Amino acid sequence: MPIAIFLLLLTLYAMIRRVDVFSAFVRGAAEALPLLKSLLPALAVFTMALRLFRDSGAQERFTALLSPMLSRVGVDPALLPLLIARPFSGSAATGALLDLFSRYGPDSATGLCASVLLGSSETVFYTVALYFGSVGVKKTRFAVPVALAAMVVSIAFGLLFSRLFFGPAG
Amino acid sequence: MFFLLMICSVAVSLCTGQSDAVLGSLIDGADAAVSACVKLCGAYLVWMGVLNVAKEAGWMRALAALLKPVLRPLFPNAGRAGEAVAMNLSANMLGMGNAATPYGIEAMRLLNETNPHPGVATNEMCVLIAVNASCLELFPASLVALRQSCGSVRPAAIVLPVMLSSLAATVAAVLLCLLCIRPCRSRSSYCC
Repeated sequence: MPIAIFLLLLTLYAMIRRVDVFSAFVRGAAEALPLLKSLLPALAVFTMALRLFRDSGAQERFTALLSPMLSRVGVDPALLPLLIARPFSGSAATGALLDLFSRYGPDSATGLCASVLLGSSETVFYTVALYFGSVGVKKTRFAVPVALAAMVVSIAFGLLFSRLFFGPAG
Repeated sequence: MFFLLMICSVAVSLCTGQSDAVLGSLIDGADAAVSACVKLCGAYLVWMGVLNVAKEAGWMRALAALLKPVLRPLFPNAGRAGEAVAMNLSANMLGMGNAATPYGIEAMRLLNETNPHPGVATNEMCVLIAVNASCLELFPASLVALRQSCGSVRPAAIVLPVMLSSLAATVAAVLLCLLCIRPCRSRSSYCC
């Protein structure tokens, strides 16, 4: 429903602005394949690592170790790989999300909560390395602590809002 | 992190005597990535097309124009970088992470041109990183596409909670930045 309204408004607005909607759409869609092609290798490496981590039983042991602590703060232990991967790599976090979708389904409380966490946080370390690296800045001052604090806030609120909207996960 | 994950997994499978299953697990994992990409392909075609229509209709530029007065107090010495900063943040807000990165790097380059101490981050650079890291999301387009391609019946159900929690993170990031910058203004701008 909201998407349908968004699409309607966008098309009407684009037509009023005399944008050629068809060729604009085609130009955008043409970038989808190169994007997926660049995504696939990194995604494959991480889904391989995650699958191995799960199949070998290592994840079970690791979660068993951490889950008493996690359940105390109301975090579903299944979300752990996603939370660990998120600040480092977008494709690793996407791999973890896909793994959760295939086990619990995208509309389960766990799947919804995982989506919210992924959507409201960023690849903090990657962004810092890329942006500061591009201009050769070595002394990053308060950027990293503030970025990490913001990430903690987004995870805390993500957990809170998904509980409010979709009920407790796990 | 990735190697740690691999080493732990292989070590555990050796300990439990399942080391023969390692190759099978790796191939299963790679299969999962391939089928995800195939499933994603259709959704990405749709969304990247829609987003490009939004971009060419001027929505990103309009959002950037709206943001400018809000950004001025946060980036007082942005100078020529102001435009790139606004474009970077509006692309981020519309869930176009790939479009945001080139603007972000451009903004960093322009900010560095007026940097009195090269190699040391300016206040503006730190604020740019902080608001990028907390990234207020108005519409997480690629995430909705991902959910849709995985068979979700409510792919957009996450839009509002994502918006609210990223808003909270952005507010926190801005406040923390102001806290870090304030005490320094009176002396020099590089004491933090």
